[in-house]
Amino acid sequence: MPAPVERTDAQVVRDVLAGDRDAYRLLVRRYGDALHGHALRMAGSPDEAAELVQRAFVQGFKKLHTCREPERVGAWLFRIVANLCKDHVRSARRRDIPLAALAGSLPSDADPAADASNAELRARVWRALESLTPEQREAFVLKHVEGRSYEEIAAVMDLSVASLKMRVHRAREALRGLLEEYA
Amino acid sequence: MSNPADERANAPASPERHEPEDGDGTDEWERMIAAFRTAAPRGSAPPWLEQRVMAEIEALPERSPWQRALGWLVRPAPVRISPLSAGLATAAVAALLFFAGRPTMTATVGSERVEAGAVEQVVYVQFVLEAPAATSVAVAGDFSDWQPSFTLTDTDGDGVWTGRVPVRPGVHGYMFLIDETRWQTDPNAERYQDDGFGNRNAVLAVGASS
Repeated sequence: MPAPVERTDAQVVRDVLAGDRDAYRLLVRRYGDALHGHALRMAGSPDEAAELVQRAFVQGFKKLHTCREPERVGAWLFRIVANLCKDHVRSARRRDIPLAALAGSLPSDADPAADASNAELRARVWRALESLTPEQREAFVLKHVEGRSYEEIAAVMDLSVASLKMRVHRAREALRGLLEEYA
Repeated sequence: MSNPADERANAPASPERHEPEDGDGTDEWERMIAAFRTAAPRGSAPPWLEQRVMAEIEALPERSPWQRALGWLVRPAPVRISPLSAGLATAAVAALLFFAGRPTMTATVGSERVEAGAVEQVVYVQFVLEAPAATSVAVAGDFSDWQPSFTLTDTDGDGVWTGRVPVRPGVHGYMFLIDETRWQTDPNAERYQDDGFGNRNAVLAVGASS
């Protein structure tokens, strides 16, 4: 018996819009980890990241009929979670929750010895990171922490490559200045 | 679950893949980037995520067939035109112009009428605001002389208001007007600027469509 053919994202979107709500879980499975990874790197807290991703998926379901390119629904969902993350960073800043305070408890897959030797530097860089604007932090995280290409980020964030490079450059300069201050 | 190959470009990149750096190449910078990556939190989505998302979705009111039909009607869709049909359509328009004389084509942009001959380009921008408690939402900006002439709609009652507004290419400030009384800055704007009155306007950069 041939293996069942997996539905493409575009087919899933069509099915959901036609009333098959359960099909939406395929999108949650496909993009849950990637969206959660980004939310985690932006928000810092696993609980808050999970909540942001849950909100993003529900919001995505409500507005699915506005998704212009169903074959790129993953990128569309990513934009939703990225915007929620930026809002979250803004509101977290208003509540004065220091990201640096979370840095020590963040889960990491690094080698324990290297982890310990970099602890001081990590505290410095996270303290600097939380001083960036949400847009700068997002650009920096996507480029230098998640390691994406400029073209990929620009397509997902609906920015020109030139604007994006400028944003990353400014984030880098701001970080450099902040780290020198903290040194 | 793996994704079909044609969807893979759509997926966010693996956080394990790192592009070559384009920083200043100093050891200090490289060390700093390495520290960021080391410190960056990682982890899969919690196993309960799918269940919670689906439970929340199941609890939402069903969209009526009418709402689905309306959604289908207003949803932008790509249109494929063959060279032959495009040529025939062009010939038909040319014939119409020849026999009917040159018509005056106008489009309404805000409160202003723009003559088609003036080659003023307009881009339709989708505005979205989540305001569950609102009874009306409008958007105003320098593209409408700050008149709240463009109203947003919430057809499915989920509290998310949307509307497509014609905007000329350029950089524009805008705000939302809720219930005709309360101004609100777009929380999802790309940029912001002070309005000179103690508030911030959202800023929208509209590029010319090719």
